[in-house]
Amino acid sequence: MKPRIVSVIARKELRDVLRDRRTLFFMMLLPIVVMPLLMLGISKFAMKQSQQKQTRVLDVAADPFAVNTLKALAQEWTDANWKALMLAQGETTFEAMGGLEGLKRLTSFGEATEADAALDLGAIFRATAEMSDAQRELLTDARAIAKLVTQTVFVDPADLEATGALAQGVEIPDDLPPVLADERVTLAIQSKEVAAAIALPTDAFATLEEAEASVPFHVLYDSSQSLSEEAHDRVTDFLDVVNRFQLRLRLREASLSDGFAEPLALERANVATASRRVQAVLGGLLPYLLFAFCFFGALYPALDVTAGEKERFTMETLLLGPVSRLEIALGKFVVVFLAAIVAAVLTTTSMVVSFTYGILPPEMASAFEIEFQPLALALTGSLVLPVAALYSALLLAVGLYARSFKEAQSYTVPLQFILILPMMVSLLPDLEADSHLAWIPFVNISMLMKELLKGNYLWGFYTITLVSTLVLTVGALLGAAWMFKRESVMLRS
Amino acid sequence: MADGTPPIVEALGLAKTYKGRRGDRTEAVKDLSLDCREGEVFGLLGPNGAGKTTTLRMLSTVLSPTAGTARIAGHDVVEEPDRVRAAIGFLSGNTGLYPRLSPREVLTYFGRLHGLDDGRIAARIDELAGLFDMGGFLDKRCDALSSGMRQKVNVARTALHDPRVLILDEPTVGLDVLASRTIVEFVRRCREEGRCVIFSTHIMGEVSRLCDRLAIIHKGRVQFLGTLDELRERSGQDVEEAFVQVLETAT
Repeated sequence: MKPRIVSVIARKELRDVLRDRRTLFFMMLLPIVVMPLLMLGISKFAMKQSQQKQTRVLDVAADPFAVNTLKALAQEWTDANWKALMLAQGETTFEAMGGLEGLKRLTSFGEATEADAALDLGAIFRATAEMSDAQRELLTDARAIAKLVTQTVFVDPADLEATGALAQGVEIPDDLPPVLADERVTLAIQSKEVAAAIALPTDAFATLEEAEASVPFHVLYDSSQSLSEEAHDRVTDFLDVVNRFQLRLRLREASLSDGFAEPLALERANVATASRRVQAVLGGLLPYLLFAFCFFGALYPALDVTAGEKERFTMETLLLGPVSRLEIALGKFVVVFLAAIVAAVLTTTSMVVSFTYGILPPEMASAFEIEFQPLALALTGSLVLPVAALYSALLLAVGLYARSFKEAQSYTVPLQFILILPMMVSLLPDLEADSHLAWIPFVNISMLMKELLKGNYLWGFYTITLVSTLVLTVGALLGAAWMFKRESVMLRS
Repeated sequence: MADGTPPIVEALGLAKTYKGRRGDRTEAVKDLSLDCREGEVFGLLGPNGAGKTTTLRMLSTVLSPTAGTARIAGHDVVEEPDRVRAAIGFLSGNTGLYPRLSPREVLTYFGRLHGLDDGRIAARIDELAGLFDMGGFLDKRCDALSSGMRQKVNVARTALHDPRVLILDEPTVGLDVLASRTIVEFVRRCREEGRCVIFSTHIMGEVSRLCDRLAIIHKGRVQFLGTLDELRERSGQDVEEAFVQVLETAT
């Protein structure tokens, strides 16, 4: 084997492949342009959705009595927690959550507007990261209270405009209080005039005072509609907060401790820092994305220099050169391998750049403060090489076997599943890096990368993975070279 | 043509049998023997499916014979395929050019594969560009060329490394008169330079004008091997009639 010939073949293939638009698209354009745009688009969309959910004002049907009861319950909770809330606010930017302003308005019974409730998600993120668990819980509770009371426009059931007939599959449940049993209320929910309807008995406070029975808090909603479901969730969250609060009041009244209603209390402590938790998530996600792009980067060049050559009738021309089949296989391999590496590097870079400068708001990105150790990054990077090599060799063999580019593409569809799916095991949270997993191709690399990014250096695992992948790559390459010698494969038509 | 010199191409009992998926066998070439010398233009004639292309592909080492063997420039096609490939230039309907490269890039690539240095390659490209009138399109992409231009580049590719033997499978098929004439001229020139040219064709005019000797292949066997005069003598008629007569009496 002459290295000079391998280099001549590789340089020619590189030039040829770089003039192919499909290859350029998958190797460069996809990672550099399409990926960040896609991620940016999705994250902006998700952010917007979440923001909308946070700030959305819902219409809920409730008679004035129910509204007043609700507000009184909220007021009672706020009064009791005011001091603690002020303290929490001093340390954090609770203001940004719109919570306190919203709660303040309770006293004046002001109207809620969307602008009032506009949120600064970045500020919330930074704020909650610094809070104690108790503070965080308090603010979450305040938010649940504020959301139902201030981000809701209450409509008197008497004023509902709803007309028409009930849709198929919609029934008015039995045992509803008279306010909700009216068919117009169900119609209003169905026609989205209101998201839900609530009702409280007129003797609610008296029943609360007696502390003998529960006060029935009725909510009528349509779980097949997302806004209605959201209204239901707001009611549930609100009730949860009020219930805990009322329970505490009752316990105090009865001179019982908080522990009376909670025989066992969970006290948890997490040794993982926030950074380590993020690393675990990224470590799972990164291999999968990286290898998918590695695969797609290698895919088109691999098929182009094999099945594509057959299709263009240039394979026979090449086979007529005074060069060995191994030299041809190696020359082509080098180019496909390079394409895979370039795609992987570009993907990672563009992901990092778009994460840092685009997708996350600056303060949120700094809240994450991900600090991977240089050694972990270097070792992780080193794993891209065997993966790219194995993908390249396998794709070359598949491309050689196929008669045409189209046929090769049809083979690569199942191959994508076989080659990329094992990479997804890193997304499984429960799978641990056992040494026997080190022998399973692709699974080993995926697991290893996840562990490395978490800062666990499994040297034995690393060695087995590297050696076994290398053996497989050499095998696949020799297979490809063998195929070059098989006229039944090379001249198949 | 120099009689008495040892043949540079020698096929002995060449056979090629293709096995189908269900175990059925197709004998494309059976027990084919022929020889050609340097300075000789050797024609290979036969109807479609006669086994011409299979024979030429075996000589060029693209296919390996299932029986028999061939020696080219002293090297066995089975034992030393690399050396055989270095000694020949082969052109067929299956030897395409890289569409995304220019003729100059294609020729440079094959020159390097043949171990020529870049200076020599550049000189040869200039020489061949003059010969085939390729100057106007040497740096255009191959997929932008007409079929005549492409065939010129392809023939130039076979000649680039100065091979002693040229094997051309229907080199003028589908070409216009001018392009065909250029290629016929080139074959003649190769003979003058003392090379051996084996070419297959359907065009009797080319056979009459060019071939020193010829073989007529039918049903995978050589049905006639000899000079043009010998063929004419056999039937007392023109080449085409003689060709048909050989096919009709083929075994």
